[in-house]
Amino acid sequence: MNYPIWEVPMLGGGMLIGIIAILHVFVSHFAIGGGLYLVLTEIQARKTNDPDMLDFARKHSTFFILVVLVFGAVSGVGIWWTIALVNPTAVSTLIHVFVWVWAIEWVFFLVELIAAIIYYYGWERMDPATHIKVGWIYVVSAWLSLFMINGILTFMLTPGRWIETQSVADGFFNPTMIPSAILRTAVCVALAGLYALITGTLIRNDEARARIVRWSAKWVMGGIAVLPLAGFWYVAQLPPMAREISMGGAPVVTLFAAGSILFSALVVGGAFIGPYLFPKHVHVTYAFGLAIMGLMATGVTEWVREAVRKPYIIYDYMYSNTLRVKDLGEYSMSGLLTNAKWERPTEADTKSQVRVGRRVFRAQCMACHTVNGFNGMRFAVKGWGREFLDHQILYLNELKGFMPPFIGTDEERAALVEYLLTLNDTEQESDVAAAPAEQKGGL
Amino acid sequence: MPVMPAPDPTGLPAPVVILKFLSVFTLTLHLLAMNLLVGGVTMMALAGRKRQTDPLADRVFRRLARALPVTMSMTITLGVAPLLFVQVIYGQAFYTASVLIAWPWLAIVPLVMLGYYGLYICQFRPSWLGNRETIVAWLSMLAILAVGFVFTNTWTLMLAPSIWKYLYDAGISGLKLNMADGTLLPRYLHFIVGAFSVGGLAVMLLGRTLKSADEQVSDALQTAGRRWFLAAGGVQLIIGFWFLFALPDRVRNAFIGGNMLDSGVLAAGIVLAIVAMAVVRRMPGLAALLTGISVFLMVGTRHRVRQISLFPDLQVNNLQVNPQWALLVVFVAVLLVGLATVAWMVAAFVRAKPKMAG
Ligand code: HEM
Repeated sequence: MNYPIWEVPMLGGGMLIGIIAILHVFVSHFAIGGGLYLVLTEIQARKTNDPDMLDFARKHSTFFILVVLVFGAVSGVGIWWTIALVNPTAVSTLIHVFVWVWAIEWVFFLVELIAAIIYYYGWERMDPATHIKVGWIYVVSAWLSLFMINGILTFMLTPGRWIETQSVADGFFNPTMIPSAILRTAVCVALAGLYALITGTLIRNDEARARIVRWSAKWVMGGIAVLPLAGFWYVAQLPPMAREISMGGAPVVTLFAAGSILFSALVVGGAFIGPYLFPKHVHVTYAFGLAIMGLMATGVTEWVREAVRKPYIIYDYMYSNTLRVKDLGEYSMSGLLTNAKWERPTEADTKSQVRVGRRVFRAQCMACHTVNGFNGMRFAVKGWGREFLDHQILYLNELKGFMPPFIGTDEERAALVEYLLTLNDTEQESDVAAAPAEQKGGL
Repeated sequence: MPVMPAPDPTGLPAPVVILKFLSVFTLTLHLLAMNLLVGGVTMMALAGRKRQTDPLADRVFRRLARALPVTMSMTITLGVAPLLFVQVIYGQAFYTASVLIAWPWLAIVPLVMLGYYGLYICQFRPSWLGNRETIVAWLSMLAILAVGFVFTNTWTLMLAPSIWKYLYDAGISGLKLNMADGTLLPRYLHFIVGAFSVGGLAVMLLGRTLKSADEQVSDALQTAGRRWFLAAGGVQLIIGFWFLFALPDRVRNAFIGGNMLDSGVLAAGIVLAIVAMAVVRRMPGLAALLTGISVFLMVGTRHRVRQISLFPDLQVNNLQVNPQWALLVVFVAVLLVGLATVAWMVAAFVRAKPKMAG
């Protein structure tokens, strides 16, 4: 409410973040696991004097930097870009509370990056021992950067004692931080194997291919083997309502949670039956198929993690629509539009209840809802009459546990109802409702 | 009264001078890397035009192609730190401007990615590319120049609180570039022509390191690099004055005597740049040092432009401070260890003799 709103047509901001975040997670966890994979493969190859394996490691490292340094790093910047556009208030909190944590993370990232570059360009140039040392520096700094980010990410769902103490240490070392770090590390290992299967299945020499494909399958299975136990620990640390949402409270979320388990099982099963048992006969398309299953598993898991946080963006501190819990009382008294400075009605707005209602909608609902697209209001209010709408809004948080309470004066609520009615009834469709993002105008 | 978002209730994690210094210092590093990138990719694209007929131009092209992906990588990574600090100090203005300009601002991400992959394509020359690297180099260059243009749009829109609410009320689809702003063009050119100049200097220095490896390429890079440094540097002086006079009176006055410190810093920056151009032939190392200091002073000036422009709507010196000293100490310690590690790795790399020349 402190910042202007950006309307993302059809998808909505949350979905936009989701798409970029899932792709980034899928690559950035590979960045960490893949580094470890490269170093261990190099060590193994040199110890056993295996030129095929060494050659594979070198080729795999080219693939690695093209995926990690470019897509991984830039999509990470992309997430930051998107979340700051969609929810600047929440990002501002994360930035201000954790400035030095971010700064420390940045140092690790810088070291990681330079290590990756030197490792890559150092294959021919450096002696093996030093080269491997640089590889280890990469692994350690990459993992440490994950460790730092993980503290901030988990804080959003389980801020723990920070709510009372406001101490950065309490926020960082929060209840889900350690189980989540273990989960993510395991995912890194599994993804390293999945990606290596792609380059591994392309090796020409049958002997070498079989060895490397089987070695990669072990990474996949080993990584995923850790997930159930760590996952159990993680879920046990969730706030009760979040657990409930994921286990029956909200059918869609439960379905996705089940999907997460299913896809992970498919990946392990697929890795065992194909690459592990018959390493010589696995085709690269099979490896791609497994990777896509892995992407699905990542996607639904991240989606669930986001979904169970509702109605908060930072649990018990800030609602998804950026209303701070502590401001609830005050805003309920003074009304919404006096506090949402960007939505102060203009001269023209004050003449139309619908336009005022649209302002209320923007300030309070658009963080999660679009008009016509994903989680669209037009579908949500289909067939609802004036009274019913009013009742729903008045008891929003009680009727739907994953939504924040409505705040606003009686007039503001009435205006919102009028606006929503225009979405509902095609007969009455007004110019405002038909094209909420129109008036491109401006400069 | 312009609409200005409320400051974050968490407050600043350290006294504002420390944050300002970190912001200006890390931005200097980002912009230096950006200069090498923008200057380098432009010179590469131009060398590409003559590749078919002139074998030397082709070798120059390849040498630059080998250096650029890493430069891009450094530009991005060194950009992250100032992005953190600008959000800490100037979040109120930064988030607002970026939301208004959302789509072009978001387009930076795919543009950087395209530009970056283009550079790798020029370096690796995959066989399917045939003889088309020059086209790729041009596309990369255009993507990179476009990124800079969006940046300037956002950083100038940030300075104009009085138009924000007006833009917002005109539509929330996030398509508002800041094109009507009179400082936009001179400011953008100031950054880009500056980048040609500093990038030229860097190419010249790269040429010097190649003396024993490839005499011809070394000479070509040195000559071209020095020419770019001097020519673009000269043009830069003119654009700089254009930019200064495009600034609103209230802001400009501080730099032409209104505030002695501001005027002194700007004047010193200009003088150092001129001295660097004068000595570049005989003392290239000194020229590089002076240029670096000059860029730092210019970035400081840029920061002051922001502070003065936003007065009195946003006064960062009055923001609440809740220092996190213990964590600041941890950060400094991690930074020192990190830099030592980097130094060790780079030294190990340089010490190792390349197996194949060139
Ligand atoms: C092709 C890549 C890039 C180019 C050509 C570029 C260019 C520029 C230019 C020209 C400016 C100054 C604009 C002005 O003041 O008018 C700038 C500032 C800035 N850039 Fe970049 N940039 C690039 C990539 C990035 C990336 C990827 C990031 C972030 C991760 C970034 C972060 C920043 C920040 C934070 C500032 C300003 C900070 C402040 O005002 O305090 N840049 N960049």
